[in-house]
Amino acid sequence: MIVMRAMDKTMTCAEFQDALPELFESQSDFSGHEHLKTCENCAALVRDLEYIASQARLLLPIHDPSPAVWDHIQQAIRQDKPEPPATAARK
Amino acid sequence: MSLTAQKATNSRAFGASSHGTITKERFVLMAGPTQPRPANQHLRRNPPIAGEQEAIDKAREGDGRAFETLYAMHKRRVYSLCLRMLGNVAEAEDLTQEAFLQLYRKIGTFRGDSAFSTWLHRLAVNVVLMHLRRKGLPQVSLEETLEPSQDDGPRKDIGARDLTLSGSIDRVTLERAIENLPPGYRLVFVLHDVEGYEHNEIAEMLDCSIGNSKSQLHKARMKLRDLLRTGQRKEQIA
Repeated sequence: MIVMRAMDKTMTCAEFQDALPELFESQSDFSGHEHLKTCENCAALVRDLEYIASQARLLLPIHDPSPAVWDHIQQAIRQDKPEPPATAARK
Repeated sequence: MSLTAQKATNSRAFGASSHGTITKERFVLMAGPTQPRPANQHLRRNPPIAGEQEAIDKAREGDGRAFETLYAMHKRRVYSLCLRMLGNVAEAEDLTQEAFLQLYRKIGTFRGDSAFSTWLHRLAVNVVLMHLRRKGLPQVSLEETLEPSQDDGPRKDIGARDLTLSGSIDRVTLERAIENLPPGYRLVFVLHDVEGYEHNEIAEMLDCSIGNSKSQLHKARMKLRDLLRTGQRKEQIA
């Protein structure tokens, strides 16, 4: 319903922006939307939001934990003395 | 020795933000990591790792060296996930530790229905969410953030033509902007846009509606845009 309304060329910027979450989630290409043809501000907004999402997908894990984390894990395993994992799994 | 709370942590990430924090709709910790639905992005992000299966098999039998190998293979990804969700190094390290300890205890329950890394990352997400719930964050509802505010609601004057972002964001700048998102926004943004979870999965994890997850994501992107544009303006002035 919102998406259908968003295809209305007479919609205002506020109406278009209210419909944006659904437009993005509709997975459809709305670059040719009537409102975007006449509104540079909203077109820039859409470009930016798409760009942010695309850049986020490219973020890779780049941070390593300090060596102390592994030390603590080993220490905790020794101190806790849990049952062997395979045995625990059968419980 | 307590496995969490070993370090004093600064609470910058969950201070008294007026919006965007999570909790009235409380977090839910599943008993263990559920087997997530297949998702292309997960597969893309979790390609098979040479030697992983052998390490899993041996670790299930209690082989300490094999477990260390698994740690070496996955520590970066798990820690980065924790760090992005929490925005706090000390907490991220504590919860990385907790996640791998849970892995040690639960690896026997891994059935292989999904990629091991997918299963492990879901376990880590659950550890973080449980931590946030225990921590008793400022009780601000996800739903409350659905109401537009002057800070993060749709702007009608956005998109000044001299300030478009396309092509201008480097990774470090984006990481910093994500770190500065309100916690509730950051969680949904990291889970969806960075980690590739679907809205139905996020809704299940955060015990909120799918519509709420979508709305939070949109507001997070809008807020990020504001943060990035503000940074650009400062650079231009400088």
